[in-house]
Amino acid sequence: MSDKRFRLAVDIGGTFVDAMALDTRTNQIRFRKASTTPQRPAEGVMAAVAALEVDLSDAELFIHGTTLGLNAVLERRGATTGIITNEGFRDIFLIGRGNVPPEHMYNFQYQRPPSLVRRRHTAGVRGRLDYRGRVVEELDLDSVLAAAGRLVEEGVESIAICFLHSFVDPTHEQRAAAAIREKYPQVSVSVSTDIVREHREYERTSTAVLDAYIRPIFERYVDDLEQGLAERGFAGQFLIMRSGGGAMTAATARTSPTHTVLSGPAGGIVGAAYLAEALGREDMLTFDIGGTSLDTCVIERGGAVAAFEAQLEQYPLLIPTYDIRTIGAGGGSIAWLDRGLLKVGPRSAGAQPGPVCYGRGGTEPTVTDAAVVLGFFDPDRFLEGEMSLRVEEARAALAQQIAEPLGLPLADAAAGVFDVLLARTVGAVRQITVERGRDPRDFSLLAFGGAGPMLAPLLAREMEIREVVVPFAPSGFSAWGMLSADIVDDVSRTVLRPLEGTDPAELEQVFVEVEAEAMRSLADQGVPAARAVLERQLELRYVGQEHSLIVTVGRQWDPEGVRAAFEELHRSRYGHAMDNPLQILNLRVRGIGRTDRPELPRLPAGDGNPARAVLGQREAYDFAQRAVVPFTVYDRAKLAPGDRFAGPALVDEGTSTTVVPSGQRVEVDEHGYLVVTLEGSEK
Amino acid sequence: MTDAGTRPAGAPAIDGATAEVVRSYLLSAAEEMRATLIRTSFNPVIYEVHDFGMSMYDADLRLIAEATGMAFFLGANDYSLRKGVEYVGRENLHRGDVVLLNYPYWNAAHAYDATLFAPVFRPDPNDPEADGELVAFLCIRAHWMDLGAKDPGYVLDSTDVHQEGLLFPGTKVVSRGEPVHEIHELIKFNSRMPGEVLGDLHAQIAALRTGERRFLEILDKFGKPTVDAAIEWIIADGEARVRSALAELPKGSWTAEDWLDDDGITDDPIRMKCTVTVTDDEFTVDFTGSSPAVPGPVNMPFGATEAICKVVFKALTSADQPTNEGSVAPLRVIAEPGTLFHAVYPQPTFTLWTGIVAVELITKALAQGMPDRLPASSGGDVPGFMMVGTHPDTGQLFAVSNNEVIGWGGAPDHDGSTALSHVSGSTGRVTPVEVLEARTGMFFERWEIRTDSGGAGRFRGGCGTRRDIRFVTPGEFLTVIKKTKSRPWALAGGREPEPNQVVVFPGTDREHRVSTTRTRVEPGDRITVLTAGGGGHGDPRLRDPAAVREDVAEGYVSARAAREIYGVAIEDTDAADG
Repeated sequence: MSDKRFRLAVDIGGTFVDAMALDTRTNQIRFRKASTTPQRPAEGVMAAVAALEVDLSDAELFIHGTTLGLNAVLERRGATTGIITNEGFRDIFLIGRGNVPPEHMYNFQYQRPPSLVRRRHTAGVRGRLDYRGRVVEELDLDSVLAAAGRLVEEGVESIAICFLHSFVDPTHEQRAAAAIREKYPQVSVSVSTDIVREHREYERTSTAVLDAYIRPIFERYVDDLEQGLAERGFAGQFLIMRSGGGAMTAATARTSPTHTVLSGPAGGIVGAAYLAEALGREDMLTFDIGGTSLDTCVIERGGAVAAFEAQLEQYPLLIPTYDIRTIGAGGGSIAWLDRGLLKVGPRSAGAQPGPVCYGRGGTEPTVTDAAVVLGFFDPDRFLEGEMSLRVEEARAALAQQIAEPLGLPLADAAAGVFDVLLARTVGAVRQITVERGRDPRDFSLLAFGGAGPMLAPLLAREMEIREVVVPFAPSGFSAWGMLSADIVDDVSRTVLRPLEGTDPAELEQVFVEVEAEAMRSLADQGVPAARAVLERQLELRYVGQEHSLIVTVGRQWDPEGVRAAFEELHRSRYGHAMDNPLQILNLRVRGIGRTDRPELPRLPAGDGNPARAVLGQREAYDFAQRAVVPFTVYDRAKLAPGDRFAGPALVDEGTSTTVVPSGQRVEVDEHGYLVVTLEGSEK
Repeated sequence: MTDAGTRPAGAPAIDGATAEVVRSYLLSAAEEMRATLIRTSFNPVIYEVHDFGMSMYDADLRLIAEATGMAFFLGANDYSLRKGVEYVGRENLHRGDVVLLNYPYWNAAHAYDATLFAPVFRPDPNDPEADGELVAFLCIRAHWMDLGAKDPGYVLDSTDVHQEGLLFPGTKVVSRGEPVHEIHELIKFNSRMPGEVLGDLHAQIAALRTGERRFLEILDKFGKPTVDAAIEWIIADGEARVRSALAELPKGSWTAEDWLDDDGITDDPIRMKCTVTVTDDEFTVDFTGSSPAVPGPVNMPFGATEAICKVVFKALTSADQPTNEGSVAPLRVIAEPGTLFHAVYPQPTFTLWTGIVAVELITKALAQGMPDRLPASSGGDVPGFMMVGTHPDTGQLFAVSNNEVIGWGGAPDHDGSTALSHVSGSTGRVTPVEVLEARTGMFFERWEIRTDSGGAGRFRGGCGTRRDIRFVTPGEFLTVIKKTKSRPWALAGGREPEPNQVVVFPGTDREHRVSTTRTRVEPGDRITVLTAGGGGHGDPRLRDPAAVREDVAEGYVSARAAREIYGVAIEDTDAADG
């Protein structure tokens, strides 16, 4: 693709910025961290890039995962946003769907969170379409400009436009936007159908509002980064991760920031989907544990399970995302007693003050402190020796706050913290697989995030999951995953027509239009036509029902084949299929510009004797025997393909530790990945 | 701590870590039953609206855990399961049995909410053929599409229970693991939608089997003594939490009255009365003084009355905690048999709408004693509407419904939220305008927040909405609202809000107001649906003038109301009243 040597990926988390450099000549990776700088996020990114010590003029790619848009919403730091919609419907965004979140079902004093848009910043204008896109009342541009003028006078910096039924015909939205942009060039304008052409006015309005809200600060951020990179000699391609997989150019991201807001966990899942394919594992579960949360996602037949509607706080977003389940518990989660019952999370010690063992002022025991008490970390080698752990302080906190009140020995109390966390995790994993009609035991577990490899073998033991795969540098896996991201764009149209009884040629025409749009987007992002791939999907449902399923269709397709595929999917998801007529809800096209994926390194096999990697023995807690026993400690860097050893074992690699209880075995595969299996379940 | 046998024999109690782990496993078993039901059921009311309730009991019929479902089904299974086990007889229950119960007076709901329960037996390894030890009960109720009631869909005007569908008093649909063919056939031949109904029956059975399997796994994993100890802990903990919440409440006895619009047969308003008494160790809701049972189907089975009382009690004492036997222990419900809140054979019970209005009746009584803890009325009712007609594009019959949003009541320390679903079913969602317009013959000219509809107060009620409908095809417009003739109540000196109103053919000589009825409509006809605001809380003159100005700027309150009710002078501007 180019003669430049490096590909860089930078992922911003709540605590750290992870940076990874792939040397395409040697296939070596370099992984560095810097602190997140919430006030000026670009600074943390540039610091992490600097820590890589790579010559940026020799980098062909800089790919970035950012939570800037998400944080702007969570912290209410976005632009002052207004809404222009149809007369009589100015409150669509404020009313929403009227529902209270399920966790507040019994709260008779539930309060809606403060809205992103004030009611005075909403305006209705004359002009109306009916459900088939027929003009009931022509758009009145004078009323559009008058409304915009009033909003601008009120201090509105960014305007979201959404009209009823615009997904059928966006002309009114386009004309209103053009008029406003011409008269008020200083105002940012977001148009609902520019982002998504799907039905349901609240969901589309909400998508446009979030876009309008974050767009101005997102543009500034991208400018800052572009400038910073250019100053350091970077002249390669600058990509930004999308929430629903793949990446887009920075230029495209400036105009579609909405697609970035939920991209935090996307790098890990893109990487996992790539690994699933490369390692020949059809079905994988990702198991990503960082400081504050645990994310799990199903990868089925090599593809990550996608959703086409996401939620940010109470706001729906019509963008493709991954279907991820999150538990508010990670390494930094605080263990506490609720009337004598041991709970873990959702409060987290975060980076500041951090776990007690960090010695930064944390006083409440966390999962990490429990891990220290259980002997899982070498106090002197933690985070590659950059931080020495205050073991005694962690023990004291856990003893005083948990073990003594519970009347338990210290080790049992620390193990109890893990048990509680695992019990919840078991529930979440069962949920996400049972919902899809699958048995969790059919999956491989891919462990990453700082604490993933510590907990995944325990989870596998609890759930009889046959194998756990631990990639290299698990805490940087998300950044590594980005390096395998393609350039992607998703284009959709709400159709709302019967599958049987609609002329396939008509639908083919819509597919062709939508595909042309996807191809334009890829071309704009520099993808040569030869590397572009288009995937067609139909989103269908039984007439009268709300839930829908996605069927992938080829270039040659017919209604009978689509129905058969739908029924098969419906049977696996819902246990039955029906003879009822099917309706096509949405037609979707994903445009993919294939990038060069990092090759999985193939390491030379060792002599089959892992003794070379043994660092020694350490006393630690074995969940299989429920006792403190000696564990053999291995240095991951010295393990070689073909090595096999049994638990109890600890595999130390500086930024994370794989904990293998007795009854489980480790095999190092040809790529150097650890594969942890249950004894008696090997092939 | 987890594997059976590693804990020293004879250890008397378990620790708080083990109890929490077992609790998580039990809850996740209940959630897995839920996922199984959603995954395998046939009717969208189950898998989209989540109109179901499922729960897990110990062998003594004490509630251990519940999965999230319909608020109104909270604890309804408790009543049905007791009645069902009593009817069948414990000695007649065997391993692999599943029992169906829908007789309204035992079922705590109408006949279309089918309750299935299963005893869980732990086989004895030494005698695997025998039933083994009865260790638990599992129970799932779900709304079925049709069991042969007088009208398809929903029944609004039945006058006895035999017009409300086929009745099962506690009948095995699976016996010792074998489906009872005759009963399945009986259901099939008595339903207008046999495929869906049998599909849902099987889905419920599948979910019960999932729960059974998981429960037995939990016993094997932790050992029965540990699980028993954890269950004792969970129930004792549930009770301790609500008792301490109860101890915080003011003590006393308070009475409230309210009116239902009608029973669907005549136009006479129906009196509802309740007295709530809070003592140190009991919370009693007494419906004495309410109307005798009425001819139409708005009477409540007693179990359903108990369930709504549980909803209010839970909201007050343990809103954010999982429910179990302990968490409703202090609650006592009284309603004379043969009255509105305790229907007896053969009184009709189908619509259950009374429960929605009664949730607020109980709160109204309580609020007199604890105005500093409770909000005022939240709109009083759920304003529901539906259009039935023939679609112009397809020639197919359509019947699409929507439940409107209302304003929530002003609370002791904050304003009521604007335009939310009613507290009795707050997780429900309004149907989008784009969906309603595409699927029915309605065109909407306006759907907006209704200025000044919230009751004024130091903390004002949230606003309701106004929807102007113009019909583009002929059809029938159904409204289901049981409280339009009186205003929702205010609290602590606040003002009453605007009530729910449906104005048919406004601005014509045919204009009139309706509540629960069917209206014939033609193209060009208009109907306006105005939904109630929430009641105000506290004297409006005490409201922070800055908040009043903000309300006017946002258009929730008019400049005129600000002046006349709140005593805050504000310059009237166009933008304010839009």
